Amino acid sequence: MSFVPGQPVTAVVQRIEIQKLRQGENLILGFSIGGGIDQDPGQNPFSEDKSDKGIYVTRITPGGPAEVAGLRIGDKIMQVNGWDMTMVTHDQARKKLTKKREDVVRLLITRKSLEEAVKHSKGSHPRQ
Amino acid sequence: MFCRNQTTRATVARGSALEMEIRRGKFRKSDFLHTSSQDSDIQKKIDHEIRMRDGACKLLAACSQRDQALEAAKSLQTCSTRIMAYMSELQRMKEAQVMQNVPRRSSDAGPMDDRLPCKGKVAISDLRIPLMWKDTEYFKNKGELHRCAVFCLLQLGGEIFDTDMVIVDRTLTDICFDNTIVFSEASPGFELRVELYSCCSEDDYSAGSTPRKLASKLSSSLGRSAGKKLRAAMEPGACSPVSNGGAAPLLLPVPSVPGPKYHLLAHTTLSLSHVQDSFRTHDLTISGNEECSYWLPLYGSMCCRLAAQPHCMTRQMMAGWLKVKQCGGDPKTWTKVYAVLKATSLSCYQRQEDVDANVEPALTIGINKETRIRASEKDPHGKGQNISISNRYGGEEVTHTLNTESREDTHSWMEAFWQHFYDMSQWKQCCDDLMKIELPSPRKPAPVTPKQGSLYHEMVIESSDDLSSTVSDILARRMQELELRSQLGTSPTWMSVFEENSPKSTGFPVRPCTSRLSGHSPHSPHRLPSRSPVSPHRCPQPGLLSSDASLTSDSDSHCSTSPCSHRHDWPEPSSSFSLLSSSPSRLRPRTLSLDAKLSTLRGRGYGGGGAFQCSCQPPSSSLLAPHPASSRSPLSQRSTQTTLSCSSSTSSSSSSNSEGSHSPESSEGGPFSRPSPARRSLRNLRARLDPRNWLQSHV
Repeated sequence: MSFVPGQPVTAVVQRIEIQKLRQGENLILGFSIGGGIDQDPGQNPFSEDKSDKGIYVTRITPGGPAEVAGLRIGDKIMQVNGWDMTMVTHDQARKKLTKKREDVVRLLITRKSLEEAVKHSKGSHPRQ
Repeated sequence: MFCRNQTTRATVARGSALEMEIRRGKFRKSDFLHTSSQDSDIQKKIDHEIRMRDGACKLLAACSQRDQALEAAKSLQTCSTRIMAYMSELQRMKEAQVMQNVPRRSSDAGPMDDRLPCKGKVAISDLRIPLMWKDTEYFKNKGELHRCAVFCLLQLGGEIFDTDMVIVDRTLTDICFDNTIVFSEASPGFELRVELYSCCSEDDYSAGSTPRKLASKLSSSLGRSAGKKLRAAMEPGACSPVSNGGAAPLLLPVPSVPGPKYHLLAHTTLSLSHVQDSFRTHDLTISGNEECSYWLPLYGSMCCRLAAQPHCMTRQMMAGWLKVKQCGGDPKTWTKVYAVLKATSLSCYQRQEDVDANVEPALTIGINKETRIRASEKDPHGKGQNISISNRYGGEEVTHTLNTESREDTHSWMEAFWQHFYDMSQWKQCCDDLMKIELPSPRKPAPVTPKQGSLYHEMVIESSDDLSSTVSDILARRMQELELRSQLGTSPTWMSVFEENSPKSTGFPVRPCTSRLSGHSPHSPHRLPSRSPVSPHRCPQPGLLSSDASLTSDSDSHCSTSPCSHRHDWPEPSSSFSLLSSSPSRLRPRTLSLDAKLSTLRGRGYGGGGAFQCSCQPPSSSLLAPHPASSRSPLSQRSTQTTLSCSSSTSSSSSSNSEGSHSPESSEGGPFSRPSPARRSLRNLRARLDPRNWLQSHV
């Protein structure tokens, strides 16, 4: 998932749609994020490339909306409702996820296992 | 020829060192004339010490190296102190004898008054004396490296022991003595006198680490402190208190020999009230002042572990055959047992051989301060008297009745019980539980302490080690020991940060989880209620929270962050992270553990510089599933295993974090005493996801 500056980033992604849960007067998603262009990428335990300043999922509330929707810890969030998450600050990312007027967030996430799954499937089903 | 006196047979053996000293006029012969044969062993001891002292003097005169001279001077000091102690004991004995000759007119005292408490073993270990250098001296390396040689002299009753000598300079924060000193026969009213002696370790400037050219330059231009030092060095006894204490009229002072001389720097006296099964801090009385050459800036306290094992806890006080029945049982069922009174219980065995065979006793009756023992009237059913022992267990009272063969047996058992109670009342807290005293094994290897370099600190590789363990394992174990030792002195607040499984997590019910700093997000106030926990334990007021957050106070922040963030959301972490096992490359010796800790400490400052929210989950009961492991799909496992890669810098620090603290659950298997890989990986992850290092937000 490392990127070459100036080149488009390609990744195998999965779409996850999370319905926000209302708790009192707040809408919560049930996960935590870490990362951002203003953060130290070396501290990220989930990223493969330690210069990756993307937004990663660091924790999932068990049974929460995110987990139910299929989000997993260590996922890298590429987009939220169409907004890019690969080049944002930490707080910008958080804001995009916690808009009060939105009930649902559609995430584009990527994880290593997805790439591997695709690779394996390619290998086992060679193209005709 | 023996010198005899008519009244008693006083023998000063011919040719003994004592006789020589008498001839030399150092001791008065008349002092020895009244000694009886009882004192001959003291005399032998004095003899022995005098010989040692002579030897030390000769060695001191002969040796050229500074280290050897210091050691020899230390033995000289010890010998002199011992001689003084023996002489004063001799004096006391003489006085007691004189008193005995006076007829006593006091009436017979009751048996309780003559009762003497049992003696015990007293052990003092892990002495540590903190120093208080000026920060300019300690950090900026200003000034000459003033080195002192120190050692401790410990005196209890007639036994005097000294610790090893330690060279102290301003790079040390504490003076640590690793020796365990055990005094065998101490009475409960003991007084353990601890004295710290020090001696300046430099006579001239070229003896230090200064290069020759610099040394000559320095010595030729004397500044104020340098001049003071030189002057002090030239008159070693100038600012010391009277070295022999002036208390011994019998004994002339220590023979003056050229060479280093130790002076008393601090002293304290410990007694039964200071005995505890853990480390305690005691105050020191410091003598001397800054002007003296042997001065060290002591913080004023001393930390040590003083343990006592009274003999009533370690030895069998009474043993014999008895018949026991429990109250409330059939009066006819008397069980014949072999009973042993020791420590806090009366153990009843079926056979006498069971005692040595380490078989579990058939019946154990507790004997402690709450127990009530009564001798009842003569039992009409059988011979001998009954003794009843009552204990309260919980709410109920349990009584056992003992029956002995004869009246004499009953009397001796009662006597034993009374003595036991008396001992327990005298030894107080030492009789609650048996305190462990580790006898220093002669082959214990000294840990590598490069700063406290002395001739005698060497790395010993025990041949009793498993031959298959490699040198690196031994090194690693040594590092661990070194680490443990260094941790004794560090402040507990920041150490506790790295104790992931420490009970501090129970502290978080008190600490608010969300610490808001610097009002970064304007919509923080209304977000707080969501974060404010549903659980009853935490205090949800937002106003409180914002004021409480403080990064600089370690105890606050650690409480509010790591346990909160990790407590609720990873109840079953091992299943997810079990595959996050460390690659073999991470198994390196933790040589940099202390440095690594410091570096993460610095990193902490970075992570918390900006505003951050503690990523704690409100444990809304609807969300918190008791066994989320089952709900985790296999997909997550695979994903975590592959996405969780280790970054080199953080992994080393966090691995040392989690293993550096001597957590109780670390297994003894393997040289590193590592916890299980699952736990370790979890701890690694938790350490790395510490919001202080890396900002995380909860959405």
